[in-house]
Amino acid sequence: MPTQKFTLQIKLLLQNSLLVVEKYKCRRFVIIVPICFLLFFIESCIKEENTEHKSEKTQFLNVPDSLYLIKANVKMVYIKGGNYKPFFGSNTATVNVKPFLIDERPVTNKEFLEFVKINPQWRKSKIKKIFTDNTYLRDWPSDLELPKNAKPDAPICFVSWYAANTFAKCAGKRLVTLDEWEFVAMADADTFNARNKPSYSNKIVDLYLQKERQYNSVKQTAPNYWGVYNMFDLIWEWTDDFNSVLTTGDSRTGKYDDKNLFCAGSATSATDVMNYAAFMRFGMRSSIKANYTISNLGFRCAKDTL
Amino acid sequence: MKLIIYTALFFFLFSYSCNQHDKHDEKDELVELPSNSIFNLNSKWQNQDGKEIYLRNLQGKVLVVVMIYTSCKTACPILISKMKNIASKLNKDDINNVSLVLVSIDPETDTPEHLKEFSINNAMDKNPWIFLRSNENATQEFANILAMKYKKISPLDFSHSNIITVFNSKGQLVTQEEGDINVDNIVEKVSNTILKDF
Amino acid sequence: MTTTRINFLATITIATVMLSCSTNSTKADASNSTANITSAADIVAEGNPEALQVTGAPNVPAPIGNRGAKKLIVNLETSEIEGIIADSIHYTFWTFNGTVPGSFIRVREGDEITLNLKNAANSVMPHNIDLHAVTGPGGGAAVTTSAPGKESSFTFKAINPGLYVYHCAAPPVPMHIGNGMYGLILVEPAGGLKPVDKEFYIMQGDFYTKASTIKKGLMEFNNDKAVAEEPDYVLFNGKKGSLLGANKLEAKVGETIRLFVGNGGPNLTSSFHVIGEIFDNVYIEGGSTVSHNIQTTMIPAGGATIVEFKVDVPGEYVLVDHSLSRAFNKGCIGKLKVSGNANPKIYSSNKTAAAE
Repeated sequence: MPTQKFTLQIKLLLQNSLLVVEKYKCRRFVIIVPICFLLFFIESCIKEENTEHKSEKTQFLNVPDSLYLIKANVKMVYIKGGNYKPFFGSNTATVNVKPFLIDERPVTNKEFLEFVKINPQWRKSKIKKIFTDNTYLRDWPSDLELPKNAKPDAPICFVSWYAANTFAKCAGKRLVTLDEWEFVAMADADTFNARNKPSYSNKIVDLYLQKERQYNSVKQTAPNYWGVYNMFDLIWEWTDDFNSVLTTGDSRTGKYDDKNLFCAGSATSATDVMNYAAFMRFGMRSSIKANYTISNLGFRCAKDTL
Repeated sequence: MKLIIYTALFFFLFSYSCNQHDKHDEKDELVELPSNSIFNLNSKWQNQDGKEIYLRNLQGKVLVVVMIYTSCKTACPILISKMKNIASKLNKDDINNVSLVLVSIDPETDTPEHLKEFSINNAMDKNPWIFLRSNENATQEFANILAMKYKKISPLDFSHSNIITVFNSKGQLVTQEEGDINVDNIVEKVSNTILKDF
Repeated sequence: MTTTRINFLATITIATVMLSCSTNSTKADASNSTANITSAADIVAEGNPEALQVTGAPNVPAPIGNRGAKKLIVNLETSEIEGIIADSIHYTFWTFNGTVPGSFIRVREGDEITLNLKNAANSVMPHNIDLHAVTGPGGGAAVTTSAPGKESSFTFKAINPGLYVYHCAAPPVPMHIGNGMYGLILVEPAGGLKPVDKEFYIMQGDFYTKASTIKKGLMEFNNDKAVAEEPDYVLFNGKKGSLLGANKLEAKVGETIRLFVGNGGPNLTSSFHVIGEIFDNVYIEGGSTVSHNIQTTMIPAGGATIVEFKVDVPGEYVLVDHSLSRAFNKGCIGKLKVSGNANPKIYSSNKTAAAE
């Protein structure tokens, strides 16, 4: 068994070194990974000799497995950013969104399978309990098998924020921030900000009302103004700072400055009470915790511009 | 050239790790970390002395954790006074088995120097006080572990939920108090946890 | 933000002080007339928690009778399901326990109720529950928001007797209610309501529809019509004809009837009327004041009423919202069929003498 495991690891490391050859975009990782290994093993050498200290030994063995880079084939779209008015807050406050790159579509089943293949600690049977509830990759029959009937290019769901966050890191990226996501979400097919169009929210709500659309493949519908696909028609998406929605169920008590999301109270701090689609999105965000895995909740990645 | 060096390095390291592996196997049982422990988090932190640590370096003590930012003028001072209150209510034997940890949600401002200064000014510069900061993603991750919500409103201003959390010496969550925090409940839970753990 | 935190703490402190003051003052009043009201919070709920039987409309669970206060468990599941709204028109309803209205919950004052809310795994939206019978933040909504596939739970003591609406309060609330997420909870006073022969559960709601752009033959919530408060349907029990034909309510001459009638809204106030009957008793707005000899009673959106009457004459009695376009054009109509012997002393047809 151990031999097998290490053969696999060597294979993966070879893969990593190949990535160097390919001049993989995120150089930092290429450098950091070997350095981490170096430190890791040097540390282990030292501790190996220090056998009488059992507790230190414990610490060493508890070092969580290192992460391996994955190859990201998804096209990223450049978003130039700018000022935008967040859905919650005062009517005059705007937020500046810096330029960034965003995956043109959500992460797919197939891609997530690749991720767990080379990062075994994120497999269904191996994931640490602190990083998930009990429905992680719920419908996968085994660690390296997609659900029967699942389309490889349908968005991955039943993944926690921790899993999504780690996937993004391994792809040399990060999760999309809430403001970035909402900035891109302002666009329809023709303009980057369609929020004032009467049909804007209703069209999105129409999509939101459809059940079980998360089983469809990505990129089967038209992209928006930026060339970004599937913002609304497949899944809810994790955002990096989803927990910045300070509007939990108990916010009607006036506990947070963003007034509550439910009942009429929520309308007082929303900047556009007719934007039902945004209410639905923020309602979803405020109802989730980072370890939740849900049937229609997936993610896509982003990256700072260089 | 680079490639050769890297590859050589990897092979060297792996031949090494393979040697080690058999030894690990014998002890795996002894050292298994609970799957729901916060010590599984792999993020790097700095304490008020600028020393780099992992959360797992905190193991072996019961942890009372709160997330704050030092430039906060309103809610955080109350949280900090509650933490001090907890410290003062714990008996002397217990306090040796406890770390009181303040984690910054504003890593940009709360540099180790800044945290050090803050700890001295507030008479929190000795054991059992620990101040921590990391990068934004690690901070976000840790906040998520606590189900703590926060949002940067402006450079020196955050909106956040007020939570004090107790972890046992293995890093498993014991209890949380949110909002109108009852210090006595926390002290009681800490004492009970110490009884169980030590 | 942080200032709010301080304010919040201050508010809590003040509220606590005020609460303790008001408790004192009510205790002082207790000796006069309101003894039964102040004591409800102190009633001890006995025994181990029991699962409570709930029912779908128009059925009502058995009366509480003479029992003491208990610990009860109520399980509700929220789900989003396709159903028939009228004739052969399909609509995506959002429900408590798969029906519109949701299950009828019947408890006694002083009961301690643990409410478990599960959101179906295949739901699209998060849901929660605000029970108007609950004293506490959000009526429970503050602690029950459940993402798809998740569960939440809270416990409350029913301290005010009456008939109350419950509903989902997740954003956007009008949409959750407009899709059918409401029901009734009855808190009976100690000793129970006076026994009657027949009890029924009816709930009115207004529906705003448009054709789904995604699926043929399916109607969905129409945001614009809801904001304009111009419903396509105003319905009893979530479906046109839910109380007509084979589904009509039935009773026998001489029986006393009690209707628990709620109005989920989200927007319209109901002018509830039974054609050919006069309500002997109306528990105004579901509360403790009983009014007599009422023809039409108002039920606000998010409110309820209990009406009682004795059926003396056989025939069909039509239940309507007496804002009659709703009955005539939008489906707000139901029937109560009373069978038995004619009662000419009260009602008889005079054959026209002119014809002879």
